Amino acid sequence: MGPQHPMTHGLWTLKVKVDGETVVDTIPDLGYIHRGVEKICESRDFTKITTYCDRLCYASANTWSHSYIYAAEDLLEVEVPERAEYIRVIAVELQRIASHLMWLGAFCPDIGNLTAFVWCLREREMMLDLLQELGGSRMHYNFPRIGGVKRDLPIGFAMRARAKIKLFLDRIQETEQLLDESTVFLVRTQGVGYAKPEEMVNWGVTGPNVRAGGVNYDVRWAHPYSVYDQLDWDVSVERPSIKGADSYDRYRVRVDEMRQSALMCLDALNKIPGGAETHYSEGDPMIISKAKERAEEGKTGFHHFEDSRGESMFYMVGGGDQRGKHPYRISIRSPMFLTIPYASKCMIGYKVADIPAIMGSFDPCIGETDR
Amino acid sequence: MVFSLGIKTRGEYAEEAAQQVIDAAIVRWQGTGLEAEVRNHKSGMARPYVYIKCPRNHWRAVAKWLRFEMGADHCSMITGIHWPDGPDDCKWEVVAHLMRMNVINPPERGGWTKQVIRDPKILQDDDVPMEFEVSISIPDTRNPSVQSVQEVWMGADWNEKETWDLVGIDFEGHENMRRVLQPHDTPVGFHPLQRQHKIRYHDFEVMYDDAQGFGRKAIDEGKTK
Amino acid sequence: MADDAQNYSMFNSQALVDVVGDTTDAALEASSIKKFISVLAGRFFNWGQRKSLFPLHLGIKCCALEMAAAGGGRFDAERFGVFFRSSPRQCDVLIVNGPVSKKFADPIVRLWEQMPEPKWCIAMGECAISGGPYYQSYNILEGVDTLIPVDVYVPGCPPRPEALIDGFAHLRKKIMKMGVKSSSKNVGDAPIIIGDD
Repeated sequence: MGPQHPMTHGLWTLKVKVDGETVVDTIPDLGYIHRGVEKICESRDFTKITTYCDRLCYASANTWSHSYIYAAEDLLEVEVPERAEYIRVIAVELQRIASHLMWLGAFCPDIGNLTAFVWCLREREMMLDLLQELGGSRMHYNFPRIGGVKRDLPIGFAMRARAKIKLFLDRIQETEQLLDESTVFLVRTQGVGYAKPEEMVNWGVTGPNVRAGGVNYDVRWAHPYSVYDQLDWDVSVERPSIKGADSYDRYRVRVDEMRQSALMCLDALNKIPGGAETHYSEGDPMIISKAKERAEEGKTGFHHFEDSRGESMFYMVGGGDQRGKHPYRISIRSPMFLTIPYASKCMIGYKVADIPAIMGSFDPCIGETDR
Repeated sequence: MVFSLGIKTRGEYAEEAAQQVIDAAIVRWQGTGLEAEVRNHKSGMARPYVYIKCPRNHWRAVAKWLRFEMGADHCSMITGIHWPDGPDDCKWEVVAHLMRMNVINPPERGGWTKQVIRDPKILQDDDVPMEFEVSISIPDTRNPSVQSVQEVWMGADWNEKETWDLVGIDFEGHENMRRVLQPHDTPVGFHPLQRQHKIRYHDFEVMYDDAQGFGRKAIDEGKTK
Repeated sequence: MADDAQNYSMFNSQALVDVVGDTTDAALEASSIKKFISVLAGRFFNWGQRKSLFPLHLGIKCCALEMAAAGGGRFDAERFGVFFRSSPRQCDVLIVNGPVSKKFADPIVRLWEQMPEPKWCIAMGECAISGGPYYQSYNILEGVDTLIPVDVYVPGCPPRPEALIDGFAHLRKKIMKMGVKSSSKNVGDAPIIIGDD
């Protein structure tokens, strides 16, 4: 299943060995969009690397740029004001909803349900409008800055966000109803692609995939960062069958996560220090604090972050060119890099027609895999 | 007057758990040159992490100890760094990041599985999720290599492939080592993240009077890249 | 015997068809009806080409999401006749929406060659135009026009879906101006009565 394929959700090859209709062995072949981001970032200032990190996983750009920013702040030893943390949480959770909607919009046509594609893209446009108000662009926002955020919540954003999120919560119920009452969807996703949580953790799979296995591990509560411990939210966990988590469980986890993210956004808008209606201008110390530009040699920083697809991590070593203005080494851990080989192993024993259902339910995004 | 009733916050549990790991490490690996300490993130995460500096020939044993006795069941990342200007005993470095997730297969009851929901306020000791950072230094050599921990964590498999592909550090005992991000027909011995390889146009500075760079030629123009 | 008779008759009918074709051709050319018809036919084919461009379902990187959004409900591209196909054999347009790495250079050229004439290429996004932010990378080619001929460049990182639809409008104008490209040499003069190609 070569690089150009409508079902593979990205540019990679899956070599499948079949015996009749049953899959016997699979080998994934990655690297078609390997851009060498780690090497390029060795010659970029810390502020310029944010733009590259947006483009790592393009479906959820905000989560990746925030993941980088937290690691850079660890390296540069920067304190972030609390209001900025709340704004970051709002941006990240809105992006998580948009990313999961894109996933659902791409997964359902694989199963055969083209209506959900249009509905999910419609909701995603709503979220993208909100993110456009925050960040300035539809997809790659370059939104967080080292020490805070680029801009405060625009005037009227809270009102629009609350209205849109409430509308979204109603509409996601409609979409869920459409899919849960569709026999084709249920037959194609239930009982397909079993994955045991212990195996998943051994392989390095994290995020909604492992939460579908019945264990509520989430980086946001296990290693808390930002203001997640002050917000009121539940981890989305599924109750799988004995054999493990199947595609239907993974679908349910993500829909539940969308709801939780929406509720988290509403909660953050209520709890934000300074109020959601006040607007501070750019550069105000309420939303950004001064950060130093250089990192001395010998300093390192890393940060585990809960990305839409799992646990992403940036490991940065300071002391590069220009007396520390550039990082010496930046190492990016992508959750999908280890999930895709695991998902390829999950497919063994099923039919060829189940491959899109299994692969799609793991939510591959090749941009972050092939950095 | 405020006195603690013995109920600790999660942060303190985490610090205690980290200290327990350090103590166990010192007891177990005395005399091998292994250093372990508790470090704190300077920003972001509010929990401490365990930093271990492992000598090269003990890596596989330390990995097994971490996995089976300390419970670091998730191999997050294994990466390599090239230090051509570093000290003589650390020209190459392999850094492994591990996490303790304590994920267990949910127990079964009556044909269904029971969800495992952990209350973060009461996790203690071995159950506390913990981050580990292990750093292995390799002295100056043309063929740096380190033992492979493929059989300890399956996740180390692809991470080691990527490290070899990009940095050039080999992993002894690793089955099926192949190029995973670069094209399969990349010349043997080309590992782009080594410091002697530069990026294209690497010495272009920003020219304020020539924003598009039309008048400027690269120093290495004409040479095959 | 019967087979031979059949073959003989078929051979005869083929020769007969050729003779009829040649004489009709000459007659039409003499009366310049042929040019009139072929110009009309050319215009008709051109109209068909540009009003229903079928791009390929190729998503390389971020711009692919904007391409998908362009096909979604808000920026509906289907109302312009743009309908995404999965197989390159059924496509007119190759939209390259991401950086081309060394590993993908070969497949993209193969996709381009698999597409039947007439075909066009749209380079969408900075990465396809010139390598984009990765122009310094060791693995990325500087633009897809190092490999295949590009007709329309749509700048942006990523270009908004409206920009992509504008790119399609430019491509339609180009098709109208330049006529339909075809592998046969004299498109306008090709006879339409009896298939000669």
